[in-house]
Amino acid sequence: MRQFLLLMVLFGQFSVAISQISVVVPRSPNAADAAVADRKMWTSFGNPANFAFAKSLEAGIEYQNRFMLKELAFRSANFVLPTQLVNIAAQASYFGYAQYNEILAGIGFSRNFSDKFSIGVQFDYLSAFFAAQNQYRGALFPQVGLNFQLSKNIHLGFSTFNPFQTNIRSEYSEKRIPSVFSLGADFYFSPDVVARLQGDKEISSNFRFAAGVEYTMLNTLTLKVGAQYLQYIIPDIGFGVKFSNFSFTLNGEMHPALGLVTAAALKYRFL
Amino acid sequence: MKLKLRVIILVFALAFLSFAKAQDNASTIEQQIATIVENFVAENEDESIDFESLYDELIQMAQHPVNLNIATQENLEAIPFLTNVQVENILYYRYRFGTFNTIYELQLVDGLDMTDIRNVLPFIFVGKADEKPEKLYFSDVVKYGKNTLLLRLDRTIEQKAGYIADADGEKAYLGDQFYNYLKYRFKYRNRISAGFTAEKDAGETFVRKGHIGYDFYSFHILANNIGKFKTIALGDYRVSFGQGLVLSSGFGAMKSSMATNVVAHSAGIKAFTSTDENNFFRGAAATAGFGKFEVSAFYSNKNIDAAKEEDSFATFYKTGLHRNESELLKKHTINQQIAGFHTVFNSLYFRVGITSVYTAFNADYLPETSGYKFNYFSGRSQWNTGVYYRTRFEKINIFGETAALSFRHLATINGISVSPVSQISLVALMRYYSEKYDVFYATAFSENTRPNNESGIYLGAEIHPFRRWKISAFADSYRFPWMKYQTDAPSFGNDYLLQIDYVPSRYVSMYIRMRAKDRMQNSSSARQATPIVEFQNKKSLRYELKYASGNFSFKNTIEANAVGKFGEKWTYGFTALQDMSYKPVSLPLTINLRYHFFEAENYDNRFSLYENDVLYAFSIPMFYGRGSRYYINLKYEIGRKLALWLKLSQTVYADNREEISSGHEKIIGNRKTDLRFMLQYEF
Repeated sequence: MRQFLLLMVLFGQFSVAISQISVVVPRSPNAADAAVADRKMWTSFGNPANFAFAKSLEAGIEYQNRFMLKELAFRSANFVLPTQLVNIAAQASYFGYAQYNEILAGIGFSRNFSDKFSIGVQFDYLSAFFAAQNQYRGALFPQVGLNFQLSKNIHLGFSTFNPFQTNIRSEYSEKRIPSVFSLGADFYFSPDVVARLQGDKEISSNFRFAAGVEYTMLNTLTLKVGAQYLQYIIPDIGFGVKFSNFSFTLNGEMHPALGLVTAAALKYRFL
Repeated sequence: MKLKLRVIILVFALAFLSFAKAQDNASTIEQQIATIVENFVAENEDESIDFESLYDELIQMAQHPVNLNIATQENLEAIPFLTNVQVENILYYRYRFGTFNTIYELQLVDGLDMTDIRNVLPFIFVGKADEKPEKLYFSDVVKYGKNTLLLRLDRTIEQKAGYIADADGEKAYLGDQFYNYLKYRFKYRNRISAGFTAEKDAGETFVRKGHIGYDFYSFHILANNIGKFKTIALGDYRVSFGQGLVLSSGFGAMKSSMATNVVAHSAGIKAFTSTDENNFFRGAAATAGFGKFEVSAFYSNKNIDAAKEEDSFATFYKTGLHRNESELLKKHTINQQIAGFHTVFNSLYFRVGITSVYTAFNADYLPETSGYKFNYFSGRSQWNTGVYYRTRFEKINIFGETAALSFRHLATINGISVSPVSQISLVALMRYYSEKYDVFYATAFSENTRPNNESGIYLGAEIHPFRRWKISAFADSYRFPWMKYQTDAPSFGNDYLLQIDYVPSRYVSMYIRMRAKDRMQNSSSARQATPIVEFQNKKSLRYELKYASGNFSFKNTIEANAVGKFGEKWTYGFTALQDMSYKPVSLPLTINLRYHFFEAENYDNRFSLYENDVLYAFSIPMFYGRGSRYYINLKYEIGRKLALWLKLSQTVYADNREEISSGHEKIIGNRKTDLRFMLQYEF
């Protein structure tokens, strides 16, 4: 069973049974993985426009366990450095195990234009191990993002990951890197309650639609609930806590066929 | 890849380095004109429409805006997105309350909302009411005339099959892969226009046996308001009268999201400045005014393309492409002469005109007489005459035109528009075009690409139920009494559109548009002994959101469609895009960026999306299959005289196709990259 799951996930982009966004990109800790318009919590390899709103140096680590298999886990780390002109972020993510692994690293630049909107661009390098050649091969590709405050209560987010459909090529094979178009909106019913909507399209896969609600109590505890649709409806629940300069988030989603995916993120803000 | 990254780095470096200072409106007049044209084209897939001419006309009008206090009905009607009700209301306001003191008074005119006013602003100004036409002095023309030189160069980066030598070293196309044109234009206000155009399509050659130079040349001289003459034109020109049923070689009325804008405006004689190699006249034309009467006459003599066989030809060859021997053999093989006459009587409440056109070829036009071409005109000459009218009674406008080919085959279009209260505009239009009404330069309101073999009723409405909201809708029911292309039996169809616009602030606007269309087409199943036509339904839904801040403006569009055919599964299409435009304060630069993806199961689910482009280029590429497309379009002004445009676009298919297009246009691979450069020098 474990081997079967490994096989399915590794060739995820060709399968309809798992998320369209292939294993290259770790999921965000937001409800239903709907983070494209989120200005408060930016995530590794998410919308690069979102880290423009970071006011101080931030560093974080993330861990994602897919279907309770440690071989399918993501480990990622990130930091953002705000400057007067632009915010600079660096991120790295590791997926896999000894026999097969992928390393995704990126450096991004994002600028906040008077809190009205932000634009970000990120350059990522994905390195994957090709067993046939017994070596790593990689490719460089960009990410571009936009976050716009349409009104006091509505934020729009747009992001594209690998827009030029760059792939990793070796002598004998080609590994597709997902090319993802994401569009979403956050609706603030009050400063504490936000509803998130997002649609994603990986160019060769099915659409993913996600919706979630997050409620923050006493500026400390956040409860998250949501669902995403991709062939199946996948429910999602989570929470976040803030203490001192630390924030911690834990999310879990239940795939009806493959099981539980959990994602935890720890962030420190150098205030 | 390196190139792409460099482009991205450049764009974002520029964006980051320039501070976004507050500015009222980031859009330029060019962008505004592009938006207006986009409204026309958004729901039209007819590739034969010459949008370049409309675009050129609007640019020229923006350079020479109309004085609102002396504008005639004809002047205002020349602004193509104003409905005749709106024109009447502007004139009525001036008549009722006197001259306009400020442009802001337009808000008090019935039937003009903020979007209309914003659209109309580049084309009007409030000037003196007693302004009289200036006398024309040659010295003024020389001194104040404006010269413009345009150079455009296009190329597809990937090599197409037609440019690759075969085993014998032969290439299918004689020329290189560059598209190129050179235009010179002289303009003295809106009085004198002169111009010269030379064009070469990709694949055409500069040098071949018996020919050196461009493949297509055009020139014109046009003068307005010279004594009794309203217009005098020499060289290449366009003519449109009435509803276009007899003659309209320009941009005609069509279905669009501007649901009540279906009345063609009698544009008269206009300069031809486009690179369209067919839709123009070559010779002389003039219009003279005698009190309330105007009289026009024109003559054209030009050679057109067709596959001539001895003393006859069966089809017109209208692509304007002459890339190989086969295409060159069709070039200018037929002589076409056209002579026409037009007179119109104008009064405050009534206008009536008559147009008559005689066309002759030096060979017999003998199209196939089978199938849908059975009723096509054949012969060496045709004579077509029509009468048009417009009248106003209280808030009701009635208009129409009736024409007859050789005094036998009838075509008529008649309509009524009314605005009972300022928030509501309604229009009804009835058309009947005989299957034998087959004329060469007619462009009237129709479902087909030309007014022929069709009857129908169109109802349109525009309602402003609340402030900032607008509802536009139309319903068109039509019938084709004879066969048509890909429909081997009489057929009928319906077309519906509903659009809701919401403009919450001057920086944010959005609309949602629903379109449903059903029409009959040949069955796609195996060929039957008896033709079987079946219904095809297409339903589409589009949401568009525009928003701006400072020097940035953005647009998101999401569109989905579904196509159903009898006995077959529904097929679906989906597309979404993100646009960004940026105009820094500190640099004379404009940047347009787009990223969009599309997924259309088959050709019927295709999407046609308007794109920003270099000046005068009009881009509405069509997509089906699965893939993404992105472009960067730059405009840079060097001083006040020189402006440069550069557009780099790429389409990448993700549906495992190994080649794009077919025949000589085939590209190996799944990427198509286009580069377009343009230079404008004004002196």
